[in-house]
Amino acid sequence: MMHKLLAIDRRIIFALVFLSVAGPLLAGISLPITPTNEVKAAYDQFEKLDAGDIVLVSFSYGASTQPEMLPMSRAMLRHAFRRDLKVVAICLWPEAPGLAQQVLEEMTAEFDLEYGVDYAFMGYKPGNFSVILNMGQDFHSAFPQDQWGAETGDLDLTRGLRSLRDFDLVLDLAAGDSIEFWWIPYGQEKYGFTFVAGCTAVMAPDLYPFLDSGQLGGLLGGLAGAAEYETLIDRRGSASTGMSAQSMAHLVIVVFVLMGNIAYFAVRRTSSEQRS
Amino acid sequence: MRAKNWLSALVLAWPLASAAENAEQGIDIPAAPGIGTLLADPLPPIEEQELGELLAHPEPPIKVQAFDTPNDDGGSITLTWPRNPQISENAMYQVAIADSPSGPFRVVAEVAATGNLMSEAPALFGRRADLENHHYVNVEEFAAAGGKTPLEDGKTYYFHIDVRSAGGAIRGKVIVNAESKGNFFNNSKINNLVLCLVFSGLIMGYIGIARRRELKIRRIAGLEALDEALGRATEMGKPVLFIHGLRGMDAISTIAAVNILGRVARRTAEYDTALRVVAPDPVVLSVSQETMKASYVEAGRPDAFNPDHVFIAGTDQFSYAAAVEGIMIRDRPAAHIMMGYFYAESLLLAETGSTTGAIQIAGTDAFTQLPFFVTTCDYTLLGEELYAASAYLSGEPRMLGSLKGQDGGKAILLAVLVLGTLLETFLGWSQLTHFFTP
Amino acid sequence: MIFLSRTLPLVIAFAFGMLGVIGYYVPHGDAQSLEREMALWMRIVFAFSYLLGLYSLLNLHWQRIRQRVAGWAYSLIAILSFAVMMVFVVYNDGLGPFTAQAEAGGYKWLFDNIQVSCASTMFSILAFFIASAAYRTFRARTPEAAVLLIAAVIVMLGRVPIGRELSDFFPIATDWLLNVPNLAAKRGILLGVSLGAIATSLRIIFGIERSYLGGGAE
Repeated sequence: MMHKLLAIDRRIIFALVFLSVAGPLLAGISLPITPTNEVKAAYDQFEKLDAGDIVLVSFSYGASTQPEMLPMSRAMLRHAFRRDLKVVAICLWPEAPGLAQQVLEEMTAEFDLEYGVDYAFMGYKPGNFSVILNMGQDFHSAFPQDQWGAETGDLDLTRGLRSLRDFDLVLDLAAGDSIEFWWIPYGQEKYGFTFVAGCTAVMAPDLYPFLDSGQLGGLLGGLAGAAEYETLIDRRGSASTGMSAQSMAHLVIVVFVLMGNIAYFAVRRTSSEQRS
Repeated sequence: MRAKNWLSALVLAWPLASAAENAEQGIDIPAAPGIGTLLADPLPPIEEQELGELLAHPEPPIKVQAFDTPNDDGGSITLTWPRNPQISENAMYQVAIADSPSGPFRVVAEVAATGNLMSEAPALFGRRADLENHHYVNVEEFAAAGGKTPLEDGKTYYFHIDVRSAGGAIRGKVIVNAESKGNFFNNSKINNLVLCLVFSGLIMGYIGIARRRELKIRRIAGLEALDEALGRATEMGKPVLFIHGLRGMDAISTIAAVNILGRVARRTAEYDTALRVVAPDPVVLSVSQETMKASYVEAGRPDAFNPDHVFIAGTDQFSYAAAVEGIMIRDRPAAHIMMGYFYAESLLLAETGSTTGAIQIAGTDAFTQLPFFVTTCDYTLLGEELYAASAYLSGEPRMLGSLKGQDGGKAILLAVLVLGTLLETFLGWSQLTHFFTP
Repeated sequence: MIFLSRTLPLVIAFAFGMLGVIGYYVPHGDAQSLEREMALWMRIVFAFSYLLGLYSLLNLHWQRIRQRVAGWAYSLIAILSFAVMMVFVVYNDGLGPFTAQAEAGGYKWLFDNIQVSCASTMFSILAFFIASAAYRTFRARTPEAAVLLIAAVIVMLGRVPIGRELSDFFPIATDWLLNVPNLAAKRGILLGVSLGAIATSLRIIFGIERSYLGGGAE
């Protein structure tokens, strides 16, 4: 029996994980969410800004992580526009422009924003960290035109921006190495701006030292971080809904781990008894 | 350096201004109530509430200093003045700028009576205790007729500081001037430079020592296992799959991976075993091709080298993972060697690889991915072991020396950490911490 | 030949390495504009490297189709997918290839409906693999492994709302685990990685490390 449990077919595990995710989503179960300190810190950085302050939002994620990253992009941009902050969006990943455009269009519809005045979308530039270095030196040289070909100097919002120092807050929404290896060493450390980040859940533990050192002013990790932010801005969205599915999936994995260990110890005990 | 800047600040006495003068100079400061010695205008009636404000000593500062902002590339002037502990919390300091002492002056900054303390900017002013008794402001641009105008380096600008409270504004008595200029050294990075020189010195020193005598490093099980994996592939007549991590050639982990690839390629050339290399980055691809070619030449088998055996499997994270998983399933290599910086694809690759029964050796400095590799691979190089691999495999004295140098640096950091913790915990002395921060 | 393949790259690496160091410590405008030029050139070189990648990818799949190796049909799909996407990018919703990408059109449709779905599916497979890997390998074989296992269970429950519903202990213990032992381990690795980076940078600047040129460490 225990031997069979140890050698359980992977497909059974897969099926149970599928059910644990699909079930709560279909049933629409919702659970109360309590924000953590790092998410509250990110929220507070936005709260500290005054109406009209400019936020640079860097989209550094691709299509694969969209389900995890889109809810946090949506929640943080919603918070920014609700506070009448101006947003300049850039992309450091080649796949990101389509995803950024989607969320900006949603926000435009919701807040009746004027392009070039309330927000600007500069599109993608190749070069990873060198784009950040370039922006630090001369924003117009790094992004001479916006995504749609308009001159950066012609847009009200971007006309007066000279370097990264002119932004009141920088937010990186990342699924790769852009927070730790691009923005912190080549941006925050060099130009000293307030820096907040959102990342996938698996990346978050890697970034805790930067919260402690003050190089990161706040951090949203994965769907849980997005759900906490949705709670803070009092607008439940897809992240909050997804947390019930994630809760159930975590519970199923914990049960599997415990079952595996029980079976392992039972088999080990039987073997040692047989040997003795 | 900073002392020079402070000396360069020129403080001029500001003649008592009349309201008529104000109008002539274009200064838009309403007459202040009650300070008859400063303004000759007839005083407006004082409300009871305003009287309270006045009693809170809202005089403009006299000891104002202006100087080029240190540690920057120019275009910025810093003003400092002493804090007035008796001033009302609601009062504001207004900094006005002009390009001649006679004006016109324009307001460029407002500072709260309790804000912008010099102690809040240690990178600019250091960490002296008395800094919390002084305000500062950096001026980089001012509003002119044609919009915001940045300060010009080498041009003299004039400033005065006024105080605005509920009762109105009081014009500052002193005018100071300064010029901005680009600095040749960022003083706030002196500690960084010192640390950089110390660590560099250690590393170069050990490289020198390694040239004269043999240095030993401990055995790394994951690297010892490489030969075992290659031998098994040879016996089975199956290929070896070398998988690069996702970062480019600028990452140390990728450089280390290329070094390991060189060694693996040499062995596969000697054993006449097929080697396939997948990369997600064009530059890594190119370097890997060159490395493999050189290894095959060194092993005396240049004919066996085929550049098409090194290829890009995809530049997007999951396209790359899908392509590599496909190769694992279809070609069934005998060994998977995964080296470099991996992200979420690590478990996809390693888990799929483990189902094929291949020997799996992974090496990464991606802290969050280590548990996945440890659970699904036969051997894992943890963090720095990956970097040490270059030195370990080559056995080259200069590489071994630099490895020892790193250990020396680590020993210093450990000692400082322990000492700093003890000093801060038991004596409350935090200067050692400040040495490591800007 | 050796001058071009070895000496010149080493001289360039030394010169630009030193310029990078100088740019970090010297804030003067001249040093900064030099750094700006370097960053611009890096971006240009980076953009060109995409061509190299494109050639490698297409060449690989073309060879597989030509030699009819196992799974060559997938290579055909890869090349056809590339061609279809390229056609829509060049067509640019009727605007042509020399203007900025249109806000809508075939390219956007393909990206939103195929690329996003396929990539998200790949990422979601992780959940299944993590469950399977955890079940098969996460065993309390030693006291250390038992500690790891307990920590993992606490963090998994503490990071989701159901953990708080079960007990307040889970989120509190999760916070502690992430902010104390996790942070300590990460800092240790970060210090080692940084020292390794300094050492490797020095080796590259002074020409000791040459593996980035291809052809091993020496």
